Amino acid sequence: MSSLTESRSVTGRQGGRRMPRLFGEVGPALPAFLLIVFFFVAPVVALLLRSVLEPVPGLQNYETLLGSATYIGVFANTFIVSTVVTAAALAIGFPVAWALVVMPMTWSRIVFAILILSMWTNLLARTYAWMVLLQRTGLINKMLMAVGLTDEPLTLVNNLTGVTIGMTYIMLPFVILPLYGVISNIDKAVLRAAALCGANRWQALTRVLLPLAAPGMAAGGLMVFVMSLGYFVTPALLGGTSNMMLAELIAQLVQSLTDWGLGSAAAFVLLLSTLVLYGLMLKFFGTSRLGGQ
Amino acid sequence: MTVPFLKIDGIRKEYGPVVAVEDVNLTIERGELVTFLGPSGSGKSTTLYILAGFEKPTLGDIRLNGQTLLSTPSHQRNIGMVFQRYTLFPHLSVGDNIAFPLKVRRKSKADVTERVREMLKLVRLEGYEDRKPAMMSGGQQQRVALARALAYDPPILLMDEPLSALDKKLRDELQHEIRRIHHETDVTILYVTHDQEEALRLSDRIAVFSKGRIDQVGTGPELYADPATRFVAEFVGDSDFLSCRVTHSQGGRANVVLGGDFAVEGVPLHDERGTPGEGALLLRPERIDLSRSEPTGWRGLPVRVDDVTFLGSNVHVIAQTGWGETVSVRLPFGHEHISGLSRGDEAWLRFDPNEAHVFV
Ligand SMILES: Nc1ncnc2c1ncn2[C@@H]1O[C@H](COP(=O)(O)OP(=O)(O)O)[C@@H](O)[C@H]1O
Ligand SMILES: [Mg+2]
Repeated sequence: MSSLTESRSVTGRQGGRRMPRLFGEVGPALPAFLLIVFFFVAPVVALLLRSVLEPVPGLQNYETLLGSATYIGVFANTFIVSTVVTAAALAIGFPVAWALVVMPMTWSRIVFAILILSMWTNLLARTYAWMVLLQRTGLINKMLMAVGLTDEPLTLVNNLTGVTIGMTYIMLPFVILPLYGVISNIDKAVLRAAALCGANRWQALTRVLLPLAAPGMAAGGLMVFVMSLGYFVTPALLGGTSNMMLAELIAQLVQSLTDWGLGSAAAFVLLLSTLVLYGLMLKFFGTSRLGGQ
Repeated sequence: MTVPFLKIDGIRKEYGPVVAVEDVNLTIERGELVTFLGPSGSGKSTTLYILAGFEKPTLGDIRLNGQTLLSTPSHQRNIGMVFQRYTLFPHLSVGDNIAFPLKVRRKSKADVTERVREMLKLVRLEGYEDRKPAMMSGGQQQRVALARALAYDPPILLMDEPLSALDKKLRDELQHEIRRIHHETDVTILYVTHDQEEALRLSDRIAVFSKGRIDQVGTGPELYADPATRFVAEFVGDSDFLSCRVTHSQGGRANVVLGGDFAVEGVPLHDERGTPGEGALLLRPERIDLSRSEPTGWRGLPVRVDDVTFLGSNVHVIAQTGWGETVSVRLPFGHEHISGLSRGDEAWLRFDPNEAHVFV
């Protein structure tokens, strides 16, 4: 380790330029590195320890979590909502990203500006706005009734429907941006070739465009799914009291019931499932991206 | 009157204020290999894209066996195309790329396998079935693209500068392959290139594009022997141009004067409506004879030799007229007046007025 540091700094000096020398040495980065260990690893370890030590040492917190229908229900809610949100965000985000690539520059600039501005707008403000839109007398119910799709106002808020709608909206930019990058890098001549080969729009989409955009879908989808698993604000504001999501449960366990052990165990289960998913994705798309079999 | 196989009828294409293609007319016979030859930006690709259905013409019609193609979308035209860039599907193997047009046509599995094998054999890539495009060279990728474009037996194959990204040796090899495949399959090929040598080597007929129009259509020898415009003369083969003054013209022939006093009579005249009286005389370097001494039986154009280059089977002489214009002359090796010819020597040039052309 020290000899490596040594030899790097020597080449840095021979090169005579400041930048490589600065970046070639590990030494100056050490405090930041320790900080990262402290901030990122320590809380996880603390979490794990609390989940198996409180209130008494043992795995009883995990037994409680996995043995109770209520808690299993919360896990199920969390995974179902996250899956639906991810699927919806991809289904809406893909055509939007495609449109952004093919539309004239002036138009796409405007759409990008709207996307970015919405991301800069305060999260709470945006979520409250959805609350207003989704309530029984809100704009969406009024429109649905005006068109005649429903006679009675639908309950779109204080339940998982509201949570799903609100989170899909929040997550959209996180799929649109990576997908835009991937799609704009696809050579449009390849799609023309597909058309002349006889592929109609649907075949060109499913057999060429989607496979080529898969890395962007995976990156955006994973990001959204993982963020959704632990999302708190939107479920707390748009969700109901009966159908909780995991982040709400953890908050309740820790804040209201001060049950740190059970809260930590729930958080740890969330972390583990996220890691497993991430590993699976990496295994799936990490190699195909490199053009392997 | 029989219906022509493929008819490009008065095509015009505007992109905003830019006129990319203007009044393009061409009739193509079944089984022909026709090249679109012209410099970059002359409208070759645009014409091809209109045939492929990627662009709609502003005016005009494309008819295949008398039926308009314009109302048929690209994916139903059943036309093959090889592009300038590599357009194989990067996520599919070579075999799956060739199978793609067959699978979207819902051919049976056995047919697909059989056809893919035939196509790989046609382009001489047997055994490459499972490779990914990224693991093949540019030349191999274009072969696969050719196989993919021919797999569904299209009546027409479009090729847009497919070899321009390859080096000379590979290009020669693939030109040869394209010729062979054209003979073996009887497909009608429309081939775009900016390389006159490639056009001459490949085509049955060449359409010379200039500024969005077709200047002339003909076989290589026809274009070379009888260019319709100055542009065609310059673009196909080597050429010498001398400025001249037209003194008399009648029945497609003209009498001209070079450099004040050298008269040439009965030269074929091509009227491009330039400045009246002013013209350019076209000579072909290998159709000019050179003499070291003042000729007696005929009147030679006196020149001074600027440079002599030995090029193997022929010798390239650069000479200058008394009024300062340059003429290049190609003489066969062993020509009686070549030995000892060097820079600064006096010489006299002779040419047949019937083989020259005047453009005014
Ligand atoms: N999509 C387009 N938009 C605007 N102008 C275009 C477009 N495509 C081609 N052009 C113009 O049309 C002319 C002919 O182009 P092209 O057919 O590509 O020429 P070539 O293939 O002979 O090089 C050029 O001046 C080019 O700039
Ligand atoms: Mg072109």
